[in-house]
Amino acid sequence: MRNITKRFPGIVANDNITLRLRRGEIHALLGENGAGKSTLMSVLFGLYKAEEGKIYKDGKEVEIKNPNDATALGIGMVHQHFKLVEVFSVLDNIILGAEETKFGFLSKKAARKRVVELSEKYGLAVDPDAKIEDITVGMQQRVEILKMLYRDNEVLIFDEPTAVLTPQEIDELMIIMKNLASEGKSILFISHKLNEIKAVSDRCSILRKGKYIGTVDTDKVTKEELSSMMVGREVKFAVDKADANPGKTVLEIRNMTVPSKIRKRDAVHDVSLEVRAGEIVCIAGIDGNGQTDFVYGLTGLAPVSGGTLLLNGKDITSASVRQRMTGGMSHIPEDRHKHGLVLDYTVEQNMVLQRYFEPEFSDHGFIRFNEVRKYSDSLINEYDVRSGRGSLTAARAMSGGNQQKAIVAREMDRKHDLLIAVQPTRGLDVGAIEAIHKRIVAQRDVGCAVLLVSLELDEVMNLSDRILVMYEGELVGELNPKTVSVEELGLYMAGAKRDNMKRGEDKT
Amino acid sequence: MKNTKDKKLKLPKMEGFISALICIVCGILVGFVILLLLAAFTPSIPVGEALSGLGIILGGPFASGSGADVMTAIGTMFFEATPLIMTGLSVALAFKNGLFNIGAPGQYLMGTAASIITALSIPTGGSAFAGFIVWIAAILAGTVAGVIWGMIPGFFKAFLGVNEVIVCIMTNWIAANLVSWIFKGSRYLNVASGHTAYTLKTSVNGVAAPKLGLDKIFPGSNIDISIFIAIAMAVVLYIVINRTTFGYELKACGSNRDAAKYAGMNVKRNIMLSMMISGGLAAMGASFFYLNGNIEFAWETYSSLPDTGFNGIPVALLAGSDPIGVVFSSVFLRYLGKGGYNLAGYTGFNEYVSDLIVAVIIYFAGFANFIRSYFPEVGAFFRRIIAGKGKKDADTAETLTAKGGENR
Ligand SMILES: Nc1ncnc2c1ncn2[C@@H]1O[C@H](COP(=O)(O)OP(=O)(O)OP(=O)(O)O)[C@@H](O)[C@H]1O
Ligand SMILES: [Mg+2]
Repeated sequence: MRNITKRFPGIVANDNITLRLRRGEIHALLGENGAGKSTLMSVLFGLYKAEEGKIYKDGKEVEIKNPNDATALGIGMVHQHFKLVEVFSVLDNIILGAEETKFGFLSKKAARKRVVELSEKYGLAVDPDAKIEDITVGMQQRVEILKMLYRDNEVLIFDEPTAVLTPQEIDELMIIMKNLASEGKSILFISHKLNEIKAVSDRCSILRKGKYIGTVDTDKVTKEELSSMMVGREVKFAVDKADANPGKTVLEIRNMTVPSKIRKRDAVHDVSLEVRAGEIVCIAGIDGNGQTDFVYGLTGLAPVSGGTLLLNGKDITSASVRQRMTGGMSHIPEDRHKHGLVLDYTVEQNMVLQRYFEPEFSDHGFIRFNEVRKYSDSLINEYDVRSGRGSLTAARAMSGGNQQKAIVAREMDRKHDLLIAVQPTRGLDVGAIEAIHKRIVAQRDVGCAVLLVSLELDEVMNLSDRILVMYEGELVGELNPKTVSVEELGLYMAGAKRDNMKRGEDKT
Repeated sequence: MKNTKDKKLKLPKMEGFISALICIVCGILVGFVILLLLAAFTPSIPVGEALSGLGIILGGPFASGSGADVMTAIGTMFFEATPLIMTGLSVALAFKNGLFNIGAPGQYLMGTAASIITALSIPTGGSAFAGFIVWIAAILAGTVAGVIWGMIPGFFKAFLGVNEVIVCIMTNWIAANLVSWIFKGSRYLNVASGHTAYTLKTSVNGVAAPKLGLDKIFPGSNIDISIFIAIAMAVVLYIVINRTTFGYELKACGSNRDAAKYAGMNVKRNIMLSMMISGGLAAMGASFFYLNGNIEFAWETYSSLPDTGFNGIPVALLAGSDPIGVVFSSVFLRYLGKGGYNLAGYTGFNEYVSDLIVAVIIYFAGFANFIRSYFPEVGAFFRRIIAGKGKKDADTAETLTAKGGENR
C-alpha cells in the first residue's frame, strides 16, 4: 500500500501511509485509538475507498473497490466482531458466498471435506455442524479464519482479534497465526496488547493520529519503546496507588442466584459479596464463568431468582434499571455496541443516554439541546474522546476505542456511589488504559465503591484492592493482590483450587 | 457554532429529499416503459399515446380539463390525501420505534366504525353547534377505537414477545369482520334510498367537518378543515419526535433496544405507547374522511381491507419516516392517483397504471437504501452534487460511509 490517504469529515484518518507486507510475515499494526488502523485495513479490504494512494500486490497495481475485489485478490479480513449468520451451521457459514453447486444444487459434500482438511491442517478445531449461536467466541473466530482459508486467501487481516478472547484462546490463536505464516500466508494483525505483538509478529508498523511513524523489527525493540513510539511519550504500565481506605458498605449482595438462559443450571449461584466505599473489588475469572449474568442481575438487565441486593442499604433486588441508576449505580457495560451506545445517535445524544430526562437536560419534556451540547463537549474534552466532528459525530463513525472512551466518560461523570466497570479498557490503547486506570483509582480515592469485572490478569493484579474469583457461577476464592501470585490466581480461575466461601446459613 | 447546528438539521433532510426524488424519477421512467409496452401490445392503443399518457399521469389534477375541473380535482386530491397523511404518520411513528405497523388498515376500520356510529347516534336536533360538538366527539371516539386496536399488537409484542406483524394482520381481519358484523342490519345503513351496502352520510344527523369556505375555492370537491388538522398533526409529531424526551426514548428504543434497556428506559412501555399512538393516528385519518358529511361507508368489509391503511406504508417509506415528509408524499401519491384517474378518462389505458408507477417508486425507495449502504460511491456522488462542487468532501459523506463499514 503506497501513500494511502483517507479522509473523513473533520479528520484525516490515514495521511499518506505506506505499508509493505512481505510474504509469510506477521505484520503488526500499532497505534492509539483513532490512529486509523481499522480504516487502513478497511481500505485494503475494499470497505472504504481511499482518496489518494495505490495498492500493489505482488508488484502489480490493483484496484480494490469492494470486498469482492479483495476476495478475488486473495485478501481476507476477520472483523473484530464477526460477521456470521447465527442460525446457520459452521459449514454453511464458511461456504456462504463461495458455494459450489452441481446442477444448481448445493454440493456440500466436497465443501465439508475441504473444511475438515483445512481445519486439521491448521489446527483449527471446529464442529462443522454446530450452529454459530451455540459455540464460543473463540470458535466463532476459528470459523472466520476458516472462511478466509476456504477462499484461498493469502493476505489475512485480523482487526483486534484478541480483544474478545480468553488468555487460552489467545495462545491458541497465536499458534494458529504462526502456522499460517509458515505456510506462506501474510498476516496483518492489529492489537493494543504489546505482549501479543512481541510474541507473534515479525515486524510492526506504527501509526499516530493518521500518520505513519515507522516500521520496526519486533524482536529489536522493547515494549516501552513501542509504546512511546505510539503515543509519543512514556507510558507507565504499573498503576500508582496508595493503600485502600475502605469506608461504609455501598453494595451488599447476599446469596444472589441468576438463572441461565440456555442451560439448566444457574448461571450465577449463591454469590455473596460486599463492596465498600473507597475500595476496588475485582471479580476475576475466565470468560464464560457467569460474570456476564452476574452483572446483568446486579444492574437489573436480567431478573435474579434468589438473594438480596442492597445499594447504600436500600433493597434494590427488584428495582428497575432506572431506579438503580438514580440510586447511585454507574455501569460500564461489557458490550459497547449491544448496551453501551445507540450507534445511530450522535456522541452528544449518547452522552445523556441515562440523563436526558433530568431537569439539567430537559424542560417540560423538551430536550435542552444547548445544555446537552455543552455537557457533551466538556466530557469529550476531559476524557480525550477523539472523533471527526466532536459532539456531532455519529457514534457509529467513531473508532472502537473512542466509543469505549465515550462510555467511560459518561459513566464516570454521572453521579454515583458504585461504579461497575466490566472490561473497562477493552480495545483501548496503552495510553488510554493508563489514563482510565488512573481515573478509576481517583474515583476510589474520593470514596466511590468500584466493582471491576475483568478478564485481563494484568488489570486485575494492578488495579484491585481485593480479588474475588468466579468459577462456574460461584465465588471460589478471595485473594489479596499484594500477596497472591499470578500462578495461584490462575489455579483459582481454572477451578483447580477453591476456598469455602459460603457465608450465612448453608443451603443444600 | 450556530452554523454547525443548522447543518445537522438540514443535511440529512436534503439527503432524504434527493433520494426520494431519485426514486420518483426512476419510477416514472419505468412507468413510461410500461406504458410503451402496453401500448405496443394493445391494438386499440396507438403507441404515441404512451407519451401523452405519461403526460397525463404527471399532470395529476392539472390534466383534468377545464379550470373548474382542475380546481375540483385539486380539492379532491387534498381531501383524499388527508387520511393518507394520518396512516402515513401512523406507520412512520411505529417505524421510529422499530415496529412495523401493518395494522393500520384495521385501526382505520375501527376508527371508521366508531366515528360513524358516534356521529349518527348522538342526536343533534339540527343545531349547528351540537353538530360541531358531535363531530369532535366522533373524531375522539374514532381515535380511541384506533388506540385500543393498536394496543393489542403493542401488548403482544411488549409483554409476550409476539411479532407485531403477525398480530397486526390478525387484528386487521378481526376488525374487517367485526365492522361488517356491527353494521349488518343496523340502523346506520342507508335503507331509505335502497343503498344498503353503504352507511348513511353523517350529515343526515347534521354532523360534518367545517368547510372553512374551501368548498368555494375548490367547488365540487369534498375538501374540508381536516387537511389542516392532519398537517398540524404532522408538525406536532415532528416536534415530538425530534425535540422531546419522549421522541428521544422512542428513537433509542427503535434503534437499539438493548441499549435503551441498559439506559433505564421502559422499553415495553415505549412499545405499547407507540403502537397506541400509531393506532390512534390511523383511526383519526378514518374519522377525518368519513366525518366529511358527504361520504358513505361501504360497510361490507369482511373480504377486503381499506387501501388507505396499507398505503400508509409506502407513504412513510417514501418520506423516510419523517412526519413532514409524510405530508408531501401523501399529497404526491394522490397527485399521481388523480393522474391515473384522468389517464383512464382520456386514453385507452386504465387507471391502474398509476398504481403501478407508485409501486415501482416504492421499490426504488427500498432500492435506494440498498444502494446507499452497499455502494457508497454512488451515494457520495449524489452527495457531492447536493453539497456543491466546492465542498468535495461533503460532510454528509459521514452518515453514508458510516453505514459501509461498522466500527468496532
Ligand atoms: N465511517 C466513518 N465516518 C467518519 N469518521 C470515521 C469513520 N470511521 C472512522 N472514522 C474516524 O477515523 C479515525 C480513525 O478511525 P479508525 O477506526 O481507523 O481508528 P483505529 O486506529 O482503528 O482505532 P481503535 O484502536 O480505537 O479501533 C477516527 O478518528 C474516527 O473517528
Ligand atoms: Mg479499530
